[in-house]
Amino acid sequence: MEISVPVQKATVVPKPFIRLMRLLARTLYDDNNLTTLSDNQKKSAKGDSRGNIVMVLDALMRRQWVREEDLASDLKKNSKQVRKILRHFEEEHLVTRYQRKETAKRAKIYNVAVAATAHGREVDNVKLHTQSYCCLDYQHMYDTARLRLQNIKRKLKDELEDKYTLQKYGCPHCNRKYSALDALRLISMEDDAFHCERCNGVLVVECDKLSSKEAVDGGDNAKRRQRQRLQFAEALMDQINRVKDIPFPVYESFPEWEARAAMDARENGDFNTNDPFGSQGVNGSTPMPYLGETKVEVNLRDGKEDGVPSSKPMPQWMIRQGMNLTKEQRGEISQEEKVGGVSEGEVLLSDDNKPSAMGNDNDTYLKETYYAALLQQLEAAQKMNQQESTPDIQSATTCSDRQVGMKSKREDEEDAECEEGAHVSANGAGVEEEEEEEDDGVEWEEG
Amino acid sequence: MFFHIVLERNMQLHPRFFGRNLRENLVSKLMKDVEGTCSGRHGFVVAITGIESVGKGLIRDGTAFVTFPVKYQCVVFRPFKGEILEAVVTLVNKMGFFAEAGPVQIFVSKHLIPDDMEFQAGDMPNYTTSDGSVKIQKECEVRLKIIGTRVDATEIFCVGTIKDDFLGVINDPAAAA
Repeated sequence: MEISVPVQKATVVPKPFIRLMRLLARTLYDDNNLTTLSDNQKKSAKGDSRGNIVMVLDALMRRQWVREEDLASDLKKNSKQVRKILRHFEEEHLVTRYQRKETAKRAKIYNVAVAATAHGREVDNVKLHTQSYCCLDYQHMYDTARLRLQNIKRKLKDELEDKYTLQKYGCPHCNRKYSALDALRLISMEDDAFHCERCNGVLVVECDKLSSKEAVDGGDNAKRRQRQRLQFAEALMDQINRVKDIPFPVYESFPEWEARAAMDARENGDFNTNDPFGSQGVNGSTPMPYLGETKVEVNLRDGKEDGVPSSKPMPQWMIRQGMNLTKEQRGEISQEEKVGGVSEGEVLLSDDNKPSAMGNDNDTYLKETYYAALLQQLEAAQKMNQQESTPDIQSATTCSDRQVGMKSKREDEEDAECEEGAHVSANGAGVEEEEEEEDDGVEWEEG
Repeated sequence: MFFHIVLERNMQLHPRFFGRNLRENLVSKLMKDVEGTCSGRHGFVVAITGIESVGKGLIRDGTAFVTFPVKYQCVVFRPFKGEILEAVVTLVNKMGFFAEAGPVQIFVSKHLIPDDMEFQAGDMPNYTTSDGSVKIQKECEVRLKIIGTRVDATEIFCVGTIKDDFLGVINDPAAAA
């Protein structure tokens, strides 16, 4: 599970703003309080329980820019649910969101590994995933809060005066509800009353919201609720007035923030491989340096050794004889590295952009590559052997070749075995030749 | 609210109309087809005021009908929430009253009629103030405010109120007579 980066040098949010945000989350965006007064919020609150909304907003208050997936996982919530809430808040101008396409690291590495094992057939099958980040927008939040309060006030006033509310009708038999907008369909010419479309029962007028609640709850409950609402509204107004003169905390845009966060992370020496921002640098969507290497692998099979991006340090297993590489490109470990230690090679791979556990696919890939290289070397050695008469020169040439490449210390068991085998065979061939020559000589002498 | 807009329609014309008067036939058919209709998007088409262009006809396979794309200017009427309209009362009952403003039907429910007006049943059901000075009955004209609209694909229905300043009866032909 990836953990979002804590904000190192966050824009300091004044306490009144935090308090206002908390109040907002608990009043305007809470289904039990003021929201029931407006129809818009009913729609938004549908499917979201109150707790989730408050939880998401509280979590955002403690963060700056955060990836939505991380936020969801931190909250242990379904990311879909969180995204839904965030989208709603974006519409409400409480939250700024930033979306961009990114490569999913693991998916990509997996694809590369698959492509490599399948001999480069699926090299281009890398998908870009849209990642979205979110952040609170205090300035808009302030405006939104004022607008909503104003709307609620007006609505309350209208409702109290019983103006502009659509009359509701209900069927006493089947409990079906209608509004005044259905009047044309409901009117019956026989008795001038409204009739239910389903059961043809005579509809009765339902009291509108406030009065109906009073009828259901009883006067005390309604009064209490009304008082509670007023308290919330007053608290909110107080907070808004307090905030009015304070300059708004303004978060920078996502790319700026990301750049800064990455810099901070570097300054702190925090090179977390799971860190989605810091280690990847400013541009998270930079192509992976290993993407090209699948092609290199293909080239290996063809016996060509070009087209390698030489700016990045290369993994040890990729470096072949005769490659013109700088020391940096080889990597410092190259001198101590042994090719036979596949696990060590893997450790080498796991730098910033590659997670250490690359799975079995990569493992097999490494082995395959290694064996291919080995085979080629063997063949080359045999050829050399055939061409050259003396085995000493042959061994010397192989040694010199190795010094050029990074496999200078390839005195591994397998390698050693193979080379020994080669030597043995070469020697054997040499011996045979010598014997033949001797025999010939003998024959000549004899003849 | 009224709007003067340009709309487009594909008119299908029977070959028997082809000839000198093709264009006139096309326009008269367009008027017959379009005027008085209601679309949820534009509202009621009140009248066609002019033809912008008639495109090239396309003969339909199998039928010999020809389709002409016609662009025409027209006046449309679309009611909006909060709009003040003058309407004629068409039906009064205990639930409220129905009125018409041109093609639009408007319902004013009882609780959106001022509280001092009481429903009076009888031959001529009406809403009357206690002093009898104001009476809402069939055929009388009222000024009302739209508080809600229901817009379907081919129908617009409104709910109005007369419970506000300067709203209510503006002319009662029955009382004048």
